[in-house]
Amino acid sequence: MKTAVKKQPQIIAPDVYPQMMSKPNAARAAHTLRSADIAVKAQAAMEAQMPAMRAAILGYVEELEKAQDDMTLVFEKAHEIRGFAETAGLVTTGRIADILCRYMDDMERIKKPLDVTLVALNVSAIGRAARTEDGNATMGDVVAAELAALVARRLADASQG
Amino acid sequence: MTGTGFETLKALIVEDNAHMRTLLRALLNSAGIKEIAEAGNGVAALTLLRERKSDLVLSDLAMKPMDGLEFTRRVRNDEHSPNPFVPIIMISGHTEKYRVQAARDAGVTEFLAKPITAHNLFARITEIVERPRAFVRCDNYFGPDRRRHQLDDYAGPWRRKDDFQQEVDVR
Repeated sequence: MKTAVKKQPQIIAPDVYPQMMSKPNAARAAHTLRSADIAVKAQAAMEAQMPAMRAAILGYVEELEKAQDDMTLVFEKAHEIRGFAETAGLVTTGRIADILCRYMDDMERIKKPLDVTLVALNVSAIGRAARTEDGNATMGDVVAAELAALVARRLADASQG
Repeated sequence: MTGTGFETLKALIVEDNAHMRTLLRALLNSAGIKEIAEAGNGVAALTLLRERKSDLVLSDLAMKPMDGLEFTRRVRNDEHSPNPFVPIIMISGHTEKYRVQAARDAGVTEFLAKPITAHNLFARITEIVERPRAFVRCDNYFGPDRRRHQLDDYAGPWRRKDDFQQEVDVR
């Protein structure tokens, strides 16, 4: 005779394992994280980092441009740029880097060869955006939108082919 | 209410990008978290975890020689892990769904997409502080409960087919 016995996964409740902090401290910490003063301090801390981050982004852009046909390196550098270009105030740069990363990632996932011209176009646009971005992102937005549309068409073609 | 609540908290930042480490440290500092250690990859972070107590970990995903996923699995599952329950916030620009799921299945507590903002980082820490999650141990997973939403009208004991295993007793 066969019987089925249900074995439940072990659930370990939060009050059973060691917590990050005591309950009184947790209440204080949550209050701290929601306070307007801390938000202002955090914003100031981010802004203080911006010049160094912008300089770093420009360094990555140079490495990206030098990477040329080394697609692994192109992806690596584009990934670094998308990671914190926006935090450094380079919104369009980050957006185009994101388009490039998603394209390369999707093509890898569907096992299709990259369109190197399209990659080069994105790399060029990232370079131009990083060097000229000044807060008026209208032109950059147009370029990013056109690149996104172009990448979407290439991906659709590759998926069907 | 006095103090930030973070006076004694020890944080660990695991990130291969020095600029991102500096930024994360600055953000944590602004919230009153002062005791912060840094590691450039998962291997170095595991060593630091053994040497120094850490109450909160912020980890990047893509790093060499050990990435954030393997680091998280080791923290959760290694027999000699110093704190398998430590909250881990994974911070990554790799926001594709399958990668987020991989992070969740490795046992991260929260996922934060780059580019980061102070608001988003603080929201993740608040979530951990205010709503600590139960941990689940089953055959193929140990980590925070991945089912974040409780269904108020759910009456049954099982939420999915593999919540139990068939145990065959042959007489």
